[in-house]
Order: sequence, then C-alpha cells, then structure tokens
Amino acid sequence: MRKIIINIFSKKLSSGKYPATEDFELTGLRLKEHVSRVFGRSLAIRELDSGSDNSAEIELNNLSAPHYDIERFGVSFVASPRHADVLLITGAVTRNMQEAVMRTYAAMPHPCWVIAVGDDACGEGLLNGSYGVLGGADKVLPVDFKIPGNPPTPLEIMRGLISFMELLRQSGKH
Amino acid sequence: MMDIVTTGLMTHLESKQIGSHFSKGKGGEYYLRVPDNGIVEAAGWLADRKDLALIGIWAVPSHAKDCLELYYAFELKHPSPALVMIAEVKNNQAPSVSKIFPAAINFERRTKDWYGLGFTGLPDTRRLLLHEAYPPDYHPMVDSNPEPLSSNLATTEYSFKEFGGEGLYQIPVGPVHAGIIEPGHFRFSVIGETIFNLELRLGYKHRGLNKLAAGKTIAEVNRLSESISGDESAVNACTFSLAVENIAGIDPPKRAWELRTVLLEMERLYSHLGDLAGMLVDVGYPIGASPFFILREEIMRWNAIFTGSRFLRGAIIPGGLSRDIEDGMLQQFKCFLNTFSRRVRRALSSVDESAWVIDRFETTGIVSPELVAPLSLSGPIARASGYDSDTRQLHTYGIYTGLKYMVPVKTSGDVLARFNVKAEEAISSIGIINETIARCAPGPIFSGFDLKSGQALAILEAPRGRNIHWLRVKNGTVEHWEVITASFCNWLAIEHAVINNILPDFPVINKSFNLSYAGNDL
Repeated sequence: MRKIIINIFSKKLSSGKYPATEDFELTGLRLKEHVSRVFGRSLAIRELDSGSDNSAEIELNNLSAPHYDIERFGVSFVASPRHADVLLITGAVTRNMQEAVMRTYAAMPHPCWVIAVGDDACGEGLLNGSYGVLGGADKVLPVDFKIPGNPPTPLEIMRGLISFMELLRQSGKH
Repeated sequence: MMDIVTTGLMTHLESKQIGSHFSKGKGGEYYLRVPDNGIVEAAGWLADRKDLALIGIWAVPSHAKDCLELYYAFELKHPSPALVMIAEVKNNQAPSVSKIFPAAINFERRTKDWYGLGFTGLPDTRRLLLHEAYPPDYHPMVDSNPEPLSSNLATTEYSFKEFGGEGLYQIPVGPVHAGIIEPGHFRFSVIGETIFNLELRLGYKHRGLNKLAAGKTIAEVNRLSESISGDESAVNACTFSLAVENIAGIDPPKRAWELRTVLLEMERLYSHLGDLAGMLVDVGYPIGASPFFILREEIMRWNAIFTGSRFLRGAIIPGGLSRDIEDGMLQQFKCFLNTFSRRVRRALSSVDESAWVIDRFETTGIVSPELVAPLSLSGPIARASGYDSDTRQLHTYGIYTGLKYMVPVKTSGDVLARFNVKAEEAISSIGIINETIARCAPGPIFSGFDLKSGQALAILEAPRGRNIHWLRVKNGTVEHWEVITASFCNWLAIEHAVINNILPDFPVINKSFNLSYAGNDL
C-alpha cells in the first residue's frame, strides 16, 4: 500500500518525446467511428505472416499492448480466419508459405478484404528476385489496400485502417 | 600465436599422416585446411575435448578449382574466436559429422538443400528449408530460379517421424498459428496431456537471403542483414559491419563503438522485456505482464528517437554509424533510465511475490546442461542451463572489454531460470548503457575504408545468443554471405525441453525461448 501511494505522488520522469497522446486518441476515435459505420461496431482481423522478418508482427502485437489497446476502438485480432473480416498479411509471400496463405484466405467468409502491411507485403521490399519469394501479397491474393513501411508503426497501421475504411465507404462496397 | 586446441589438432592429424595447412583469417579466426578424409578424424579429436562446440557448417564455391569447399567452424576461447576447418569436397559427397556433433544434422541438411551435396551417414535426409513447393532436385545455389508455381500445389507430403501405440495420438499445429506469431509447424505426439514427442518443421519463411546477397553492394547487403530477423536488426547489421571492417582491416572510431553498444544493449533490453511480458501472458498473468509491455514500448520509442526506426534500422553501417546521436539526447535518456531501472525492478518484484507464477515456471520445460554443447546452444537459453559463456566476454568486440557488467548464469534450466536470466540481463543492459553514455566523448562516428577482396568471420552476442556472419567480398561487392543466427541451433532445444510436460505448458515454454523463425529460415 505504501509503495502504491508513494508511486502515485512521486515525481514522474518523462522523456517528453512521446507522440502527442491527444493525437493518438483522436486517431483512435476516428478509427472507432469508421469501424462503427463500416463494420457494424467491430472489425475482426486475422493476421497472417507469409514470410516477413518478424518486425511487422511485433508492431501488430504492440497494438494490443497497454499504450495503444486498439480493442477499445472496436478492432480485434481473431484466432481463426473464419471469424475475420480482414486478412492482414505481412511479409513477402514465400514459396513455402504459398499454400498456407491460399488456404487461409479460402477459409474466410465473404465479403472479406485483404490488407498488405509492410514494404515486403506491398511488393516494395528488398526481397524481389529471390528464388524463395513469389513477391508481394498481391501475387497470390486480391489485395484491397496496402500499408507500407519498414515496418509501419502502430499509429501508421491505425491510420492505414482508417484510410482503408474511408476507401470502402467511398466505393460504396460495404 | 596458435592456441592449444589448434596446435593439438595439427599434431594429432600429423600423427595420422594427414597433412593440414594453417592460416589466420582477417577476423582473427584460424583456418585449417584439411583433406576430405581428415574431416571425421579431426571432428572426432575435437569432440573428445568436451568444451568445444561446433557452431556452423557451410559450403563455399572454391575460387581456384571448380568445386565446393566445406567450412566447419568451432568456437574457441581466447585469442581467436573460431577454428574454421576447410575441406575440399570430392564427387559431391562428404562424410557427415552428425554422429560426432549432433548439431551438425541441420547444418548438413541445409547445405544439402542448397547445393545438392551428399553427406555419407547423415541420419536425416529430408529437406530442411526447401519444402514440397520446390522441385525435388532443385538446389538454389547451383541452379537458377525455379519456374513460378502453377496453381497445382504440392502433391508430395513431408514424412514426419511416426510413433505408434495405444493411447498415443498426434496433434499437428501450424504453420498458421492462432495468434500473431510467425509460421512454423509443430507435430506433437501426446499421451493424454503429456507430450511424448515434439517434432518441429520450420523453413516456411525461407526467403533465400544468402543467394540474394551474392553480387550486391555492401550497402544493399547491410540493409538485407537488418531483415534477417526484425527484432535483431541492430545486432545483425553490426555483425555484418564487423565482418566488412575485418576484411577492410579498419576499426571504427571510439564514439561509433560507444553508440553501437548503446543501440545493441537497447535491442537486448526491449527484446528481453518483451519475452518477460510474453511468459507472464502465457501463464495467464496479464497484470504482471502489462508493466513489461509498457517498459518495452518506451524503449522502442527511444529507439525511434535515436535512429528514426523503432527497430534501430539504418543506424549501424560498415565503418561506423550513419548518424550521430546528440549528447543532450543521450543525457536525457540516461536520466530516463534512472527511473526506468527502478520500474523494471518493481515489475519484477510483483512476479517474485506471486507464488503461483513461480509454481508454473519452476520445473517446466527443462533443458538439461548435457544438451548445451552437443546441440551448440547459446545465449540466455544456454546460460539458464549452467553454461557460462557470452560472446561479449569470450571474444570481446568493440568497447565491451572495458565495461563492467554481470552475465547471469542459472543452473536449473527451466522456464524460471530463463525468466531470471533474461530479467537480470535486462538490468545489466541498463547498467551497460548508463556506463557507456557516461564515458561517451565527442568525436567522429565514421571511418572510411577501401574494400577490395577478402573474407572474414564475425561473431557477436545477439539477444538470443551467438550470431555469426561469414563474408567473402570480391572487388567491393559481396560474393558469398553466410549467416548463422542463434535461433538455428537453439530451436533444437525445444524438442527436448517439452518432453514429459503437459501440452498447455507448451506456449510458455516456447515463449521462454522466444526464438526467431525468420532468423532460422533465412
């Protein structure tokens, strides 16, 4: 108890270099608004690693960590492709993963969308031309939206999701 | 000049009438050229000296003759980092040393995949990194790129080890897992809840980095090295840079090494904090895990402040650093770390006070000390099983010689030991960063170099263990690049650690290792 009270009143040392929290919260609220309109209050995402270095996964995991906690804005990462609205694909598609990628996509209920996250998944990475890699996600799946970055930060991924849903609303496909 | 092991080996080979030729490499490593009939003899002699680990086998096309040469690297203690035995391959067939050094199996399988080289006596001849999607007789390092696959997918099936008997059944998991995790296949054989056997199948992320690097410039391969494994970007860039610097025969300025050390330890810090959080999540203790997630995110934000990348990318380049870090910023970070280390300790004490967490961690997933040398384990996993070895101390590089820090070693080899080793390493990393910043003086951060041709080995301590790059450069471009991350050997330990544990404990055991799939598959 003593520890907790001391903790509350002790002077906090902060680096003061964090992206403005207000900015992040506003992005989150915009995300929530879009999710409500487009996906009926909840957007279920299945993440699929088709051959990335693991950085994009780390950033996606960070979205669920305390600083971001993206679930409060209506976005959840689901375990099964059968529960997902969106397939979020990271990394260039390797030859060894091609079958698993196609099967995962086939298991999704329609309508569904595919978003490529990171330069490699967008087909822009360093790996093009390698024997082990087929190319970006669009070589194998119909990609609806791309979020580039090496890897994109959690905030960039959130902004990407907003733009993706804006696009859906404009095209009237939802 | 030579150490006892190398002289001893040469004397032994001489007594068997096997000639050998010694030379010293640019990275301080020793090369010993032996005829192909000397490989097994030499490996047998080295295996008798219990403390030697085989840290890598790779093949390189020979310059002089139109054939392949096999490189066998053994870790040495002072003064040389490694003894590399070179043997010419005749008739595309070499003897397997897997009966002498079990860690050799996967190295030989990998070499066989890439070059089509046969290993006499190799117990497991299945393909390792090339799956069914590749034509059966396709070998990327000798053949050109395969045709794009048609929509008819693979028809052949990989043969897993078979187990039979009453009450024994198999659970296949992966390659696509339920969480946000990298792909890999786990084949459990279980009796009730108890794991009887686990067979791993990795390689799903095989991107062909080695071949991709051939013919590329140093700068391009430096970027490529950062994508070996995202959370080991800095250490891979630094290992590659060290290999290049060894070839060029230069040493980066002092400030460059100081800032590199800060970045490398930041990488270790955020990696370990993530592992600690993950282990706590996997035993169902999110309140205990949250502080670690918060601490880790803060370090990742500092990464971005220092280098512009949350994964420390683009900072470390051959010759030094691509950009300087302001002293004011470093002082702020040092100030931040004061409270930070207190917060880490507080988060750790909340774990120590939870008896049930300790109960789940203790005696779970034991890696016995006898496995460490044969499987060539390294890093926190080996140190949690009583193996007191850290590349930073064993063959020190950069400014690590002058730093005082503790390398924690535990003996129980269970999840708790790995948790404690990683926790103490995180705290010791904070100490290293503090000390390094305190002695950081202004100065140049880059020294230019003129790169011609040559080859060199570089070994660094990554958060996961021993990280090896072997590089051959010709006229300033990369000719051959070999990468062996710590994960490649450490994955072998999981198959042993899970036996006789219950299946629901697998996630926490796996997380306590937290190995890289991408770093293994390359």
